[in-house]
Amino acid sequence: MAPAFEPVLTRNAGNPGALTIDGYRKSGGYEGLAKALAMEPDAVIDEVKRSGLRGRGGAGFAAGVKWSFIPKGKDKPKYLVCNADESEPGTFKDRLLMEKDPHQLIEGCAICCWAVQASTTYIYIRGEYTHANAIMEQAIKEAYQAGILGDSVLGSGFKLDVYMHQGAGAYICGEETGMIESLEGKRGQPRVKPPFPAVVGAFGAPTVINNVETLANVPHILVRGADWFKSIGTDERNTGPKLYAISGHVERPGTYETAIGIPFSELLDLAGGMYRGGKLKAYIPGGASAAILTADQAHLALDFDTMTKAGSMLGSAAVMVMDDTTCMVRSVARLAKFFNHESCGQCTPCREGTNWMELLLTRIEHGEGRPGDPQLLRSVCKNMNGTALCALAEAAVGPVDSLIKRFPEEVEQHIRDRACPFPHRRYFENGAS
Amino acid sequence: MPRVTIDDRTVEVEAGTNLIDAAFKAGVQIPHYCYHPRLSVVGQCRMCLVKVAGMGKLQAGCATQVMKDGMVVHTDLPEVKEAQQGMMEFLLLNHPLDCPICDQAGECGLQDYAFKHGVAFSRFQFEDKRTYPGRERIPLGGNVMLNMNRCIQCTRCIRFTEEIAGTGELGFFHRGARTEIGTFPGKQLDNQLATCVVDICPVGALTSTRFRFAERVFYLDKRPSLCTGCEVGCNITIEHRRGAIKRYKPRFNPDVNDYWMCDYGRATFERYRDLPRLSAPRLRQAGTGPGVATDPMRPRPDLTARPPAPAAAAVSPPVAPVSWREALDAVARHLRSRSAEGAIAFLGSGFLTTEEAYLFARLADVAGTPHRSVAVELGPERHIPNLQGGLTGRDAAPNRRGAELAGLAAATTAAEAGTAGPILDAESLLRGDGAARCAVLVVCDSDFGAAAWDPATVERLRRARVLIVFGWADSPLAQAADVALPVATHAEKDGTFVNVEWRVQRFERAFPPPGQARPAVEALSELLARYDARWANLAAAAVFDRLATELPAFAGLSWHHLPATGAALDVPAARAFPEPHLQAPEDTAVGI
Amino acid sequence: MSDPTAAGRIPAASIPAAAPAAAAPREQPAWSAAAQAQVKELLARYPTREAALIPVLHIAQREWGGWLPDAAIAAVASALELPAAKVYGVVTFYDLLHQHQVGRHRIRICTNLPCMLRGSDEIMETVRQELAVGENEVTPDGRCSFVHFECLGSCDTAPMMMVDDTYRENLTPELVRRILRELD
Repeated sequence: MAPAFEPVLTRNAGNPGALTIDGYRKSGGYEGLAKALAMEPDAVIDEVKRSGLRGRGGAGFAAGVKWSFIPKGKDKPKYLVCNADESEPGTFKDRLLMEKDPHQLIEGCAICCWAVQASTTYIYIRGEYTHANAIMEQAIKEAYQAGILGDSVLGSGFKLDVYMHQGAGAYICGEETGMIESLEGKRGQPRVKPPFPAVVGAFGAPTVINNVETLANVPHILVRGADWFKSIGTDERNTGPKLYAISGHVERPGTYETAIGIPFSELLDLAGGMYRGGKLKAYIPGGASAAILTADQAHLALDFDTMTKAGSMLGSAAVMVMDDTTCMVRSVARLAKFFNHESCGQCTPCREGTNWMELLLTRIEHGEGRPGDPQLLRSVCKNMNGTALCALAEAAVGPVDSLIKRFPEEVEQHIRDRACPFPHRRYFENGAS
Repeated sequence: MPRVTIDDRTVEVEAGTNLIDAAFKAGVQIPHYCYHPRLSVVGQCRMCLVKVAGMGKLQAGCATQVMKDGMVVHTDLPEVKEAQQGMMEFLLLNHPLDCPICDQAGECGLQDYAFKHGVAFSRFQFEDKRTYPGRERIPLGGNVMLNMNRCIQCTRCIRFTEEIAGTGELGFFHRGARTEIGTFPGKQLDNQLATCVVDICPVGALTSTRFRFAERVFYLDKRPSLCTGCEVGCNITIEHRRGAIKRYKPRFNPDVNDYWMCDYGRATFERYRDLPRLSAPRLRQAGTGPGVATDPMRPRPDLTARPPAPAAAAVSPPVAPVSWREALDAVARHLRSRSAEGAIAFLGSGFLTTEEAYLFARLADVAGTPHRSVAVELGPERHIPNLQGGLTGRDAAPNRRGAELAGLAAATTAAEAGTAGPILDAESLLRGDGAARCAVLVVCDSDFGAAAWDPATVERLRRARVLIVFGWADSPLAQAADVALPVATHAEKDGTFVNVEWRVQRFERAFPPPGQARPAVEALSELLARYDARWANLAAAAVFDRLATELPAFAGLSWHHLPATGAALDVPAARAFPEPHLQAPEDTAVGI
Repeated sequence: MSDPTAAGRIPAASIPAAAPAAAAPREQPAWSAAAQAQVKELLARYPTREAALIPVLHIAQREWGGWLPDAAIAAVASALELPAAKVYGVVTFYDLLHQHQVGRHRIRICTNLPCMLRGSDEIMETVRQELAVGENEVTPDGRCSFVHFECLGSCDTAPMMMVDDTYRENLTPELVRRILRELD
């Protein structure tokens, strides 16, 4: 790994001028789109396929392959839905991309639309991101005025509309089909699959759904080529630059761009090491739904395949760091509460299972756990795993299952002592009592 | 068609059939709650998880379609059983243990599957169950009661109102473990088909206001029958206990009512339950006609009060209970002796079975009179959806078409009737002065809606010199009659009805008639036998087979071979009969 | 059983409708001309009317003073030609659509794991003490209401909270007190 990684996605992060179309153009903006429009749509898809770009939203599905599933032909409208519903606890990278470099995303959307011949993009942004939404709206307005969007994209005759669509506060709308339902004005309840969105998506039409960061990569692939993109990263299955959002017990939480596959320990160094010199106890590498990893796994590379092999996942690369004052039961109980709150409630294992898990973990944390509770929790996890309609149930299982697996002694201690062994840490001298 | 193998049984199904339906065809039951063949597939309850060879995860049977030949499915593997047990545990975690006071107990999907697929103890022991305080007894509308504590969030009811009724009164509110169903504040579940949500609710969350606490379902005898509320002819199950009907439930017939029936139809059994019965034949002893009793049953009765004793308003000279033999003797005497003194008119109703109408028409034949007709009241339109677009009923009676085909259709011209004077049809009898020209008026049966309870109508009919009434209810008309003959309701007899689409459907008796009441077919056949012995002792089946040989519309049919879904008659609807009285008469307050 | 409707003794017509949406008819602000224009512009963005529902609900919520009384939901339903039950289902699904009175300023305190690891419990407690009301309650002067919230996507500046549409980050108890006191 080159120590001095040259930022790609965040190259404009310190450059407020890039918020305007002229500023963005000065940084090489919209060259990728111009290049794409000069190519056959299929050639664009091939280039993205060849780059090995994998979805940055969580599942890590190859972007080019996803695009190639969209049926050819013009009999039906097609849509691109950009997933900007960044709601996974620990994740804040997409907000940065939209607030600091909105045109990069617009360009990515436009290239994708050309590749799959879609003429409408909805950027589904979570309702809490009002600032990012305002910046995107302004950038889109400018892009229309500059002839980048509208009836003839860059004078090519290709018609493209891009709209912002604000969500209203529901984690499940980050799930592809939940997002489509929500976009259609319904409750964000995921659909049964198949059919997949590439065949029947938004408004019954073929639909590509890509994460903000995924699309932000696309202009650079067009400009600098798939080979350049492949040259970054651990291997040919884990390519390109990657944003890591690191939070929790670190000195300088933030978004760090490196080549994909940086070892956790190096990322921790980038973030200034442990908060107030604490000792690493555990970290979650990929957002609230990833399994917890322990301090002795700190050397692992943060890429898709290494994380999967370690029994966790890269997910959205939201890295949450915990030092040794942290109660793991309390932390996981908090995540369980989140999943219970966010379960859409339509399918049985998720609706009932997330609720039960929260109740069990809360009682253990409060010193009311019973012998056999860890086994019961694992059994509930098992009944939720692979039985639910969408991935939320499995996401909820991730941290809970790893708690029982990796910190069995801590859980047992809660039950044995009938109390949480960790004192409630105070972060502020003069806080409320 | 692709073949699919389910638990080693191979069946051929149409491409696109889901695994629940395919398994059903193969004789394998895949448990499910949210799936319903007429509702969109949502895959929510996760009870129908099965193993499809070649696929890693278990698949929801409702959402997996058989597309290609050679699919192999297992529903009996340990991993499938475990998943089913897991789902049952989840569903029962927060479900109240109130089966002893739940109407659904005995026909409950949770009870059945818990027994078959569940485990016997709960691991959810130390936390409070989730409840919905104040939502245990919510009237969603007039006919449906919601107990949210019992709901398993399958959303069948919501999809029904959206997709079948098209009214969308119900919605899914909140999310996660607090998800609930309901109506928008201030709105009601108010459509003709509303109570169908009770039928499709797999648990006791939605119960019928009418049926609440009326009977434990495991005490009910269930017999297939037809609804008599209108001319659609919904297939129903009569559920009764010792002859007291407790409720009607729709019975599947894809060609008629599919899985549904309307709330009006469901309530029609109440008239059989609540109106006073005519229990023995009655004969006026001598002398002049009676006054007209006022209607004890209209407006809609206060059901908590007992109806007045039927004979309380008896007038002089009194009617007296007699034997059937005496009563039929009197009828035969009147038909013979008075035939020279004026017209004899036969007034039938749309509640007659085709067989009864046929015999009634034959009796008119032997009495030598052309004056015959069918009285039918028009009700509000009732639409029952099915896959072919549905049926709409207007007649507030099930069998006008059958009765007219069987020979009771009124002649339209005097020439056709072969009389010099006016034709004494239902219109002239019920609304004109037709009865005053009658030496004998025979009404069979008296069940033609409000008319039998309307003092003015009864008074008009009473102008006949002799009034003979077959009926099951002790209506003012029956009380006014010189001869009143107690006959069976549709639940107490066999017969056929011909519905609005000219489909003849058979039904059989659910329980015997009370007291001395008998099916009209028996009484009419006994009367006819006095003219010709070959008519003696005919049952409905024999009458149907006889009329099938005689009437072209029924050609080729026989009682025993009539399909369960009925048979479409060969009647070009357009030229069959003119629609009588298509404009609803002014006073069509819903007859009880 | 004291259930008055048991066994269908009371005919349908005599069962009273559920309590009307508002016991006392609330002041029903008409849609402002600006809001109407916004709705019209929104409808042009989507192939179905229904798709505009959530954005229109955001507008309605602004029009109705920060929350959606039943009258507002009914108004949106009729504007978009949707069953009211469906709109009600959508409103109750999403955290940012409120069915209860809120303060002039709405405070959402992130309490998910990354913020919890940096002291959000103390922030929450500070807000509770400072406003002297419970979660989801409105201060007597109608100024503020607060709720704990799931991740707001600003974990690098934890602990944080959202005051109306503004992120307030790197909070400390003093900073929280100052922010709250400065609200009008």
